[in-house]
Amino acid sequence: MRETLSLLFYLVRLRVRTRLEFRASLVIAWTAQGFGYAGVFTSIWIILTRFENIGGWSWPQMALFLGFHTLGYALGACFTLVQLRGMEEIVRGGEFDMLLVRPINPWAYLVFSGFNIEYGGHILLGLGLIVWALPQVGIVWSLPSALMLFGGLISSAFITASCITVVSACALVLQRARYLFGLYFDFWELSRYPASIFAPVFQLALLTVIPLGYMAYVPVSVLLGRPVPYLGAFAPFASLAAGPLAVLAAAAFWRFCLRRYQGGGG
Amino acid sequence: MSAFLALVSASFRREAHHRSQMMMRIVGTLIEILARISIWHAVYAGRGAVDGISIGQMIVYALIGGTLLSSWDATMIVRDIGTTIRTGAIGSSLLRPASYPMMLMAEQLGTRLFDWLFISVPVIVIMGLIYGLQPPASLPHCLLFIGYLAVSVVIVMLTAMLVGLFSFWVFDAHSLEWFMRGLLAVLSGGLVPIWFFPGGLAEVARALPFSWITYHPMAVYLGQHDLFWSVQHLLIGLGWVAALALAVVVVWSRACRQVVVQGG
Repeated sequence: MRETLSLLFYLVRLRVRTRLEFRASLVIAWTAQGFGYAGVFTSIWIILTRFENIGGWSWPQMALFLGFHTLGYALGACFTLVQLRGMEEIVRGGEFDMLLVRPINPWAYLVFSGFNIEYGGHILLGLGLIVWALPQVGIVWSLPSALMLFGGLISSAFITASCITVVSACALVLQRARYLFGLYFDFWELSRYPASIFAPVFQLALLTVIPLGYMAYVPVSVLLGRPVPYLGAFAPFASLAAGPLAVLAAAAFWRFCLRRYQGGGG
Repeated sequence: MSAFLALVSASFRREAHHRSQMMMRIVGTLIEILARISIWHAVYAGRGAVDGISIGQMIVYALIGGTLLSSWDATMIVRDIGTTIRTGAIGSSLLRPASYPMMLMAEQLGTRLFDWLFISVPVIVIMGLIYGLQPPASLPHCLLFIGYLAVSVVIVMLTAMLVGLFSFWVFDAHSLEWFMRGLLAVLSGGLVPIWFFPGGLAEVARALPFSWITYHPMAVYLGQHDLFWSVQHLLIGLGWVAALALAVVVVWSRACRQVVVQGG
């Protein structure tokens, strides 16, 4: 176990050092990605300046929501997205067969050897929005609310990593998964807005089978003391438990697909 | 011209082969449009009209603006150019008896036509049946809207090509793609119409060519401007098309001098 952990840490260090060889490119990538997100957030800000609220959420509350969503996503995606998005090419090209004969778990190898530090822009933007919004939304700080903030962020990162793992695992069986990532991101975009503005069927979906509602909507609602439909008083616990439960489900699904993997052919 | 049409047709047929992918994209677009309509329902709650725009008009804006007039394809063009440069495929593209920007335009046009027919139209029909779809303000507005639609798609493609061609110097199409995505998200009026923008930002956004991608076509469809204004702005849009096309030609001719093919 100790050797495995040190190997994974070594893989991460190698990856980071490689990426840091091109520092200017890295800074441009951070700026560009931050700018891309800022464009969408500006659109939301414009709606809020003109209409004052979206489903009862003011701009400072939405800023906290968007910051939380962006930061949670970045923390999960830096370990998974770029590495697993190309899973169908890895499978069809036969690279996955080679990973299977290595003395390390193939998922762990893919995830840690491809650790992506290009999410700096997301992290800075997410943190910036949270730091700007927190003093304005009147949260009464206590140990449970601090736990909700940090635990909710970790849970959000877990949900992101789990969803990406589940989608990529489909490539082990179907040999195609890239278009499923498109679908994942369509639901992910839904989770950038308070779930309460959607029809009940989508609210339920975001709180159950597609648990992206726990990325920001549930934890930020709990922090702000807003009621969460369907969850009620159970919302704080559900928010913290959603991430670990998603990890367990994703691990089970990965193993399920791995057992049915028959090679990429060719 | 026949080569151009052959490329458009080949690209169209290539898209038609991936049926499961097409179904997923229809579902994805339905979800995206649902999100947009839900936002407008949420912000219009209890209000009749805002700045003379009703919720019904905003639903049409979300529906057509998010499908036929979407700027999403633009990022795909930048990505394609970046891949062509990074993999060295640009060398073989230069050997072909047609200019690379023209081939790119034809391929993207084929994809776009496919999207309009098999993704946008079904989504508009489904969501229109659920939420209702207002027709264009009048027949002349409808005819002008078709002209604006053509201007919109050409401006999206030329802008994306122009941005993508800068990959010859910066070698990082991924970052260029993100910059463009952020820019178009606001300035095309794709999510929020420019009539809701604060004063100064609205003036700037209206003057830039990006507003011909979604905002101006939808304003014409909804009859927000009279016919004289609409024709005048269609001509301005065509002027932007000419200016962007000229910029692409100039940048492409300079980019060609950057290419160094190593061995074989």
